[in-house]
Amino acid sequence: MSASPHPEAPANAPRGPLFYVGSVALLTAMVTDAGSVIGRHLGMRPLGSIELVQAAILVTSSAALVAAVLARKHARVHLLVGRVGAHSQLFLERLASVLSALFFFALSAGAIWIAHDEWYAHEQSELLHIPYALLRLIAIGAVLGAALVLVRQAAERLSR
Amino acid sequence: MNGTSLGGVLGVIALIVVLSTGVPIGVALGLVGLVGMCVLLGVEPALIKSGVIVFDTMSRYELGVLPLFLLMAHLCFAANASRDFFNAAACLFGHRRGGLALASVGACAGFGAISGSSLATAATIGLVALPEMRQRGYSDALATGAVAAGGTLGQAVPPSGALIVFGIIAEQSIGKLFTAAIVPAIAQMLLYFLAIILLCRFRPNIAPPTERVGWAERGRAILRIGDIVLLIVLVIGGIALGWFTPSEAASVGALGALLLCARRRRLSWSTLGTALSETLRTSGMIYVVLIGALIFSAFVSCTGLTDEVTGLLAAVGGNRILTLFVITAVLLLLGSLLDGLALMLLMTPILMPAVVNLGLSPIWFGIFLVRAMEIGFVHPPIGMNLYVIQNIVPDVPLGRIFKGVLPFLAADFVHLLLLIFVPALVLALPRMLSQ
Repeated sequence: MSASPHPEAPANAPRGPLFYVGSVALLTAMVTDAGSVIGRHLGMRPLGSIELVQAAILVTSSAALVAAVLARKHARVHLLVGRVGAHSQLFLERLASVLSALFFFALSAGAIWIAHDEWYAHEQSELLHIPYALLRLIAIGAVLGAALVLVRQAAERLSR
Repeated sequence: MNGTSLGGVLGVIALIVVLSTGVPIGVALGLVGLVGMCVLLGVEPALIKSGVIVFDTMSRYELGVLPLFLLMAHLCFAANASRDFFNAAACLFGHRRGGLALASVGACAGFGAISGSSLATAATIGLVALPEMRQRGYSDALATGAVAAGGTLGQAVPPSGALIVFGIIAEQSIGKLFTAAIVPAIAQMLLYFLAIILLCRFRPNIAPPTERVGWAERGRAILRIGDIVLLIVLVIGGIALGWFTPSEAASVGALGALLLCARRRRLSWSTLGTALSETLRTSGMIYVVLIGALIFSAFVSCTGLTDEVTGLLAAVGGNRILTLFVITAVLLLLGSLLDGLALMLLMTPILMPAVVNLGLSPIWFGIFLVRAMEIGFVHPPIGMNLYVIQNIVPDVPLGRIFKGVLPFLAADFVHLLLLIFVPALVLALPRMLSQ
């Protein structure tokens, strides 16, 4: 996979709450899943581990999504960008930021629509009764957060 | 061609245009897919479909495999795995002519079993192997070519990031894909070995032999990688033998890598923090790509474009081999314009139904597609591995690196032909293990 570090990407971004939330969720998924494997092979079936891992993965992916956008870490095709002048390059960068923000806003709209439709269905996981509405809110927060970060990045580029 | 299929073709053209302007791959795929669905189905269904895809992707249990394998890779890197792999291989083969180049390819295969990425493998092994080979008088072309080509083993050897992404997009078992990748990856490594041996036979001066290392030192070098090899065997073997699912294997692997780091006294808050931070950022990038790819895939399935492609390929005359040659030519041609990931995400939803229609296994197609996209990593104008290598040795011109890659590129084509003519190379192991 090609993930080129963006020239504006912070080399060592400060580790804020996003990092801690994502890391704790990832380590929780790791320990829970590995524990369930060990338990299964010892003849003890831990109930609900998949549901717990699923929730932890959602928190991890939400934090990861925003972290990647904040770090400007994107997989791109460099066919044209690397071969045009500085002026055109800046234009393409701005275009990419605006289109990215639009895309994430559209995703947020879709995710909010679904969450609104399902809100009164009171969906929850089977064994641990984890409310899906909460998980949906976390996912919406991440996508909306990413969109806002992209708007800020686009504004920074436009003001240059 | 009817109106909706034409819409599909226009969508593909629009995607290539948007991608080439440097818009992130995930955003380009998602936007084109979303706009296409808005035109074909209307705004409401398009937005709702996208919303469903976002939540399903982010909460998918099977996708936990991605950040967890990445964490395992970062922790193994912190444990100095790349240097240890190269040292062990160099102790075993270094005294032979071309031995350090063989060791580089072997180390790439070993590190690939942890990293799952071509670029990461080429970069980490390159940092260790290239200075060593150049110091011992190896030609720049052979040294850089071996590492650039060897790096592609990072995606061929399971657990491979590309195979995980393919498994999600094509809705195929990641465990089966990993098992199916084992024999082709070994074949690819052996073909690279053969290329090095032949090169050294005809031009012995490009790789002088170095001094032989004693058995005691060899033993120590092998013991040093014992723990990592054990972890790799446990993870890949566990999936192949059905001890655990790929997601569970990733958790076991990440936990094992954490313990391994601690045992080697290389675990600190700083290394753990770096590993977690890098894992989160890379996972986030891949999640965006996956969400975009799934939206684009939904758009393609609305257009009927896949039926047109299936019909076109059937018009080749139903000759499976000929059809596969056509597909290979298209993949290699597009691989010269798009990078591997974009190529895979664009072509999977379009070609997959046609390939299945030909009576071929989707698992075989996954391995074949990843193999074809890897070739794009080592030839211009994309050739990301070439740039990675040039970053490590800036005094070696890109042209010389590419010249060094050419014999390995020939080996790659032989490997592709082997996959086409002997599909059992891919399918025999998963079939055998499922019995």
